[in-house]
Amino acid sequence: MSDVILRVDNVTKNFSVRRPGRGGRSQIQAVGGVSFEIRRGETLGIVGESGCGKSTLARCIVQLLPVTSGTVEFNGSPLTGLSRRQLRPHRREMQLVFQDPFASLNPRRTVADIVAEPLRVHRFGTRSEIEARVRELFTLVGLDVNSLVRYPHEFSGGQRQRIGIARSLALNPQLVVADEPVSALDVSVQAQVLNLMAELQEKLGLTYLFIAHDLGVVRHVSDRVGVMYLGELVEMGPADPLYDAPLHPYTEALLSVAPELDDGRARTRERIVISGDVPDPADKPSGCAFHPRCPVAQDRCRIEKPSLIHAGDGRLVACHFPRRR
Amino acid sequence: MSFATRAGVVRAVDGLSMSVGRGETVGIVGESGSGKSVSMYSILGLLRGPNVSIEGRVRFNGQDILGRPDRELRALRGKDIAMIFQDPMTALTPVYTVGWQIAEQIRQHTDLTKRQAHQRAIDLLAEVAIPDPSRRVNQYPHEFSGGMRQRAMIAMALSCEPSLLIADEPTTALDVTTQAQILELLAELQERRGSSIVLITHDMGVISEVADRVVVMYAGRPAEIGTRQEVIREARHPYTWGLLGAVPRLDSKRARLVTIPGNPISPLDVPPGCAFAPRCTYRHDRCSDRPPMRGTDHLDACWLDDAEKEQRRAEIEEAS
Ligand SMILES: Nc1ncnc2c1ncn2[C@@H]1O[C@H](COP(=O)(O)OP(=O)(O)OP(=O)(O)O)[C@@H](O)[C@H]1O
Ligand SMILES: Nc1ncnc2c1ncn2[C@@H]1O[C@H](COP(=O)(O)OP(=O)(O)OP(=O)(O)O)[C@@H](O)[C@H]1O
Ligand code: SF4
Ligand SMILES: [Mg+2]
Ligand SMILES: [Mg+2]
Repeated sequence: MSDVILRVDNVTKNFSVRRPGRGGRSQIQAVGGVSFEIRRGETLGIVGESGCGKSTLARCIVQLLPVTSGTVEFNGSPLTGLSRRQLRPHRREMQLVFQDPFASLNPRRTVADIVAEPLRVHRFGTRSEIEARVRELFTLVGLDVNSLVRYPHEFSGGQRQRIGIARSLALNPQLVVADEPVSALDVSVQAQVLNLMAELQEKLGLTYLFIAHDLGVVRHVSDRVGVMYLGELVEMGPADPLYDAPLHPYTEALLSVAPELDDGRARTRERIVISGDVPDPADKPSGCAFHPRCPVAQDRCRIEKPSLIHAGDGRLVACHFPRRR
Repeated sequence: MSFATRAGVVRAVDGLSMSVGRGETVGIVGESGSGKSVSMYSILGLLRGPNVSIEGRVRFNGQDILGRPDRELRALRGKDIAMIFQDPMTALTPVYTVGWQIAEQIRQHTDLTKRQAHQRAIDLLAEVAIPDPSRRVNQYPHEFSGGMRQRAMIAMALSCEPSLLIADEPTTALDVTTQAQILELLAELQERRGSSIVLITHDMGVISEVADRVVVMYAGRPAEIGTRQEVIREARHPYTWGLLGAVPRLDSKRARLVTIPGNPISPLDVPPGCAFAPRCTYRHDRCSDRPPMRGTDHLDACWLDDAEKEQRRAEIEEAS
């Protein structure tokens, strides 16, 4: 088997939206030409601000949304363009974990039922085999097997996220796509879930695509990191050098303002507070989409769109004037 | 401060004593349900009703304000003390323009004319760095981005030059770049006007960036109070150690995060002794009695003695 488990090639996703005030509909590009690979057993983190297309990308990858163009390849076979039936064997190999443990669990079913559902859908085995598997999963994620017959509202946020994780692991997937899995949790509980995910990865050899807006969380879990802005990857590379010496001015600004504990060991840094808001994806700026807010933009940036190019040591950056290191 | 509910009495805030100096920023930090919002709402008289009971004393500029008639408190709020909420949409009415809402607030507390108040609203929007304020002043809240709404809220809060600004998670719903803009704005305004700020947040990183002094809350009770330096670099309470250790760092990768076992507790079943005891690694016999807040300027509510705290903290630091 090849070392690459997932290959995303030039994936674009457009939505057609009604424009308030202007009448008619227009296209917005939620994801624009994103390409990357994930190797087996690695964690790729995707970070970016609200609305930059992280969830849309995740949904395109697990085929919950059809792509507008581009391809998604899983274990060497293309998924884009497959029928539901053709997709089925692949679906069990890639699972999505959602942000909101409250909204994603059916309130009227017991948690045992919820975790068992994918097992039933994919005809995992007899009733008692399914029951045994559910117990095994509960133990795996650190939940009390005595609570199997309880309902989601009887659990705390962190426990609900564990239930979501148990369900996603039911069919022994190879790839777990986690979309903001800890964003809704208190920090002490967030740490428990992050540690659990790390343990499970070790134990089961999982591959993660981990999406979050929290820069610290992403660094903590990721081997490599991709930074998105307005639907596009602007920088990508191994986590340590990306955080220590960002190449893209957007990555640099993001990191410079991320709140950090000043416990005497933190790096010294100069805050770069970029002005303005993220533009409306329906009115994407010309050239480099970041240019209206970029502290080092030049004329060229307004006109010519930079493509994501290699910058050595496995790093990629989409900027005409990357930060020099 | 407690609520009578069908499930029993919720002691949402229990034995909190704190002060805010002039020009000072005090951060209140703690996990969801720890009583951060309720503590501030109750001192402002925002919580009323037959099921609400508040004990203790609140003094503002040397005067007792707890239990004052609603009319007096309303005059105080908005004029001397202003509040910023996490979700600006709850404070801004969708059917009026942003400018109208700010002007109305100004007119309630001053005798400016309509026209003067409108001009003042434009100036305030400019002061909080909203681009093109004379056009924006006539727009509705939904035409503003999340960051701009929060700026508009701040403009409204500042309209009567309050001496104390209470900001309840003002940046929690915002992206980091927008959060940075808002925190910078608050710091600038404070410097310019010398006002005091109480900043409520669950984010230790934010606290570390802006607070002069910090109150750490757990289960409605203060766990630790001290300067930012004391609380972040020389924390004395096991809960604070846990909170600090659970934050993933930006500058290096730790193998495992420090975690606090269990879940934040419900205020309905706070144990009789130390509220943190069920989750505390250092729990011992004395912890079945409630620990008092001890210390002079740097206070904490934990039974461990000073030498032991120092040693534990050093161990944790060593391990991470
Ligand atoms: N079904 C849809 N129809 C129309 N527009 C959509 C749809 N889903 C997403 N969008 C738009 O696509 C863009 C990307 O949204 P997406 O949810 O992927 O962002 P995100 O990075 O996950 O943001 P967040 O951090 O807030 O979750 C946004 O502008 C969003 O409004
Ligand atoms: N109106 C109410 N009736 C009964 N209980 C309440 C009421 N309002 C708040 N509480 C309870 O009081 C406790 C403290 O709530 P509070 O909103 O102050 O927490 P918080 O620290 O601000 O949390 P968060 O970070 O989630 O905003 C919670 O347990 C909450 O459930
Ligand atoms: S008083 Fe006891 S239980 Fe409470 S924090 Fe201190 S050691 Fe832990
Ligand atoms: Mg999302
Ligand atoms: Mg609150």
